[in-house]
Amino acid sequence: MDRRNFLKNGIMFGAATGFGAAGLANATFDMTSFRQQSLKGNYDLVAVRGEDVVAMFEKAMQEMGGMSLWVKPGQTVVVKPNIGWDVTPERAANTSPELVAAIVKQCFEAGAEKVNVFDHTCDNWERCYTNSGMKKAVEDAGGRMIPGNFEQNYRAITIPGAVKLKEAKVHEQIIDSDVFINVPVLKHHGSTSLTIAMKNLMGVVYDRRFWHRNDLHQCIADFCLYRKPDLNIVDAMLVMTQNGPKGTSTADLVKKNSLLVSSDIVAVDAASAMIFGSKPKEIAYLANAEKMNIGTLDLSQMNIKRLYL
Amino acid sequence: MSLKKLKYIRIVISLLIFSFLLLFFLNVHNGWLDGVSTVLLRLQLFPSLIRFFAVAFSVSSLGFLVVILLTFLFGRIYCSSLCPLGTLQDIISNISRRFRKKLKRRFVYNPSKKSILRYSVLAAAVLLWFFGSLFLINLLDPFSNFGKITVTLFQPVFSWLNNSLSFFMQSRDIYTLSPMLAQSLPIDAVAVSVGIFATVFIMSAFRGRFFCNTLCPAGSILGLVSTRSVFQIRFREEACTMCRKCEFACKGECIDSINKTVDASRCVSCFNCFTVCKQEGLYFHNTMAKTKKTTTIPLQNIAVENSQAEKRNFLLTLAAGALSIPLLNKVSIAVPAESPGIVPTGTKAPVTPPGSLGNEHFNNNCIACYLCVGACPTNVIVPSFFDYGLKGFMQPKLDYTKSFCNYDCLRCSEVCPTGAITKIDKETKHTAQVGIAKFVKKSCIVTVEGTDCGACSEHCPTKAVAMIPFRGNLRLPEVTEELCIGCGACEFACPTEPYKAIFVESNFEHKTAQALGEDEGPRESEEEEFPF
Repeated sequence: MDRRNFLKNGIMFGAATGFGAAGLANATFDMTSFRQQSLKGNYDLVAVRGEDVVAMFEKAMQEMGGMSLWVKPGQTVVVKPNIGWDVTPERAANTSPELVAAIVKQCFEAGAEKVNVFDHTCDNWERCYTNSGMKKAVEDAGGRMIPGNFEQNYRAITIPGAVKLKEAKVHEQIIDSDVFINVPVLKHHGSTSLTIAMKNLMGVVYDRRFWHRNDLHQCIADFCLYRKPDLNIVDAMLVMTQNGPKGTSTADLVKKNSLLVSSDIVAVDAASAMIFGSKPKEIAYLANAEKMNIGTLDLSQMNIKRLYL
Repeated sequence: MSLKKLKYIRIVISLLIFSFLLLFFLNVHNGWLDGVSTVLLRLQLFPSLIRFFAVAFSVSSLGFLVVILLTFLFGRIYCSSLCPLGTLQDIISNISRRFRKKLKRRFVYNPSKKSILRYSVLAAAVLLWFFGSLFLINLLDPFSNFGKITVTLFQPVFSWLNNSLSFFMQSRDIYTLSPMLAQSLPIDAVAVSVGIFATVFIMSAFRGRFFCNTLCPAGSILGLVSTRSVFQIRFREEACTMCRKCEFACKGECIDSINKTVDASRCVSCFNCFTVCKQEGLYFHNTMAKTKKTTTIPLQNIAVENSQAEKRNFLLTLAAGALSIPLLNKVSIAVPAESPGIVPTGTKAPVTPPGSLGNEHFNNNCIACYLCVGACPTNVIVPSFFDYGLKGFMQPKLDYTKSFCNYDCLRCSEVCPTGAITKIDKETKHTAQVGIAKFVKKSCIVTVEGTDCGACSEHCPTKAVAMIPFRGNLRLPEVTEELCIGCGACEFACPTEPYKAIFVESNFEHKTAQALGEDEGPRESEEEEFPF
């Protein structure tokens, strides 16, 4: 059963039974989730420039309407940063742990019951979690680090409408959590030219090699048909402009000092690509996503809030 | 202090040491556990001896002198307490006793001239070592075997138990226990360990420390020393009532209670005899004190003198056998043409860990204890079978089809007890070229399917594998060999099947790759405004 069917069935079940406690619980849960699916916040996109990533994030969320728009009391939130590489935070190959900690805190302030953070890492997962600074930052903020490298944590799903990626094994946190917050870091990428929000979702499936074997750009677009993140927060503070996605030294980085927040994964990727200096239409997976109506690359039609701190 | 207490002190000490080493091999570690275990590693006889030659004359490799000195003073304390396989055998022996009918005579004095076998094995092992092969030591050394058994048999069980518990807790929404990554061990290596464990198990279940006094090269060396040790266990003839309890309790089967002699070469200093004797009929005799009248008839030196000829014969046969066993070749698989991964690839010789300097140094100094196999966080180090030929039988290798070597990790170089993997720092590791990546263009996804891939370049830590423009908007991998350190990240990440389109060809002698440039820090951005 996919998510949409689950929602529909849940609502019908809730309506039908109506009186039972279980039915009520189901109905309320599904209604909030349903609302989240179409929730944008005050703007299509909020973009902030500044020095302090935490302050920038807080300002952006305030403009958006606050985290409580997305996170309701008692909900389980999954935060998916990029923690793919065994490098220190200065190397900016992973999402800023400060930013992730700030997100975790806001989720709790909005009443989240649990905030779980994970990535299916490329380097050894324990070294990545520790050396990226993510484990300490998240746990200090009250969140939990969940293993992402074990097949036991993945469940098979199907993706209706997908061109190449018709089925995949997806991490149970993505399947089960009420709210899904995607926190990529903007980077150069040898294979796909850029990795941002859509590419970051490669870290929630078990078999990445399948994507590489079967038209990488199409698989990246296909996955968005399964579950789009409720919120995308792009770390574009230190941007790796060469030797990505892991980088070889801090000399690969440029201080772009930017942060982008949007519930539209394609729009946020398009804006991030422009910050990087690329044309969104030339990124093949973005072009695929637009073709499949997953989102639009045309930022001129969007309600964008730009902030300079 | 009563001699009766010695046994209990021995049990406590040996169990403590055993636990430390067991945890170390199971890869349960933290700062102080590492410290204690490292000291214990330095006190292992053969690892220390080999380390002495591998890491020439460093203080850290003088542990064997401590062991020899200890043996010269008190007998084979090493065998009773320091040797983890010795304690494992005691545990097996103790447990098996509970499953058998109560035997009044648990052990009986073994008068046979087994010493011939014993010293032949030792001589063969040592001579083969000097001829450049650790084959027999790898097969027989107790520390090495304890490691093999623990890493290939106990660790998978331990890891399975840990993960069962961990995933059970996860199902209850508790994430405090980390699961462990599965180690994929080659079945042939596991079979060898099963064979070794079965042998040790049967020998110890029925005959106590029979292994230690027949096949164990460390036991044999220390047996030679202990015949001359200062303090030896002797009979106090006037007190002995010939009850034979000491003989039946002697794990070394070295007490002849009829003739009232103790074969010091086979005594493993377990002190069971002191505890079991009601009459104080045994005591620690100080052989340095000359005035006392001798109450024993030493049996020790006969064997040594008789064994010279056998040693040589045995050795020659063995060496001839060694030379005749060829390297096993990989069998090629038939696959349809015109698809990615069609070209058979894979290194010709196995890749050895960074710090091991090359196949020759590694093969000459590795005792196949698998400490590195168990400790490797990415599980890229796996036991080999005949990949190095007979010379490096069972020694570990890097298997890039299973995983890859983490760029910043130094774990194997830190734990290696023999110096087969020399201790290196991060800077050395970052340029230690253990092999070179070879790209097979006609087997690559990008060439064959015409879609982007680049998994190899993504994972490359030095960007020796970079993506260059190719046909339209595609990008194709290209290897800069001087930058490649042979970590295997590209080979592991490559998604083609059944063969990888990029693989690491081993450097028989490790080389130094070009170091990456200075870390200059991030650059300032030119634009101030958003471009949208």
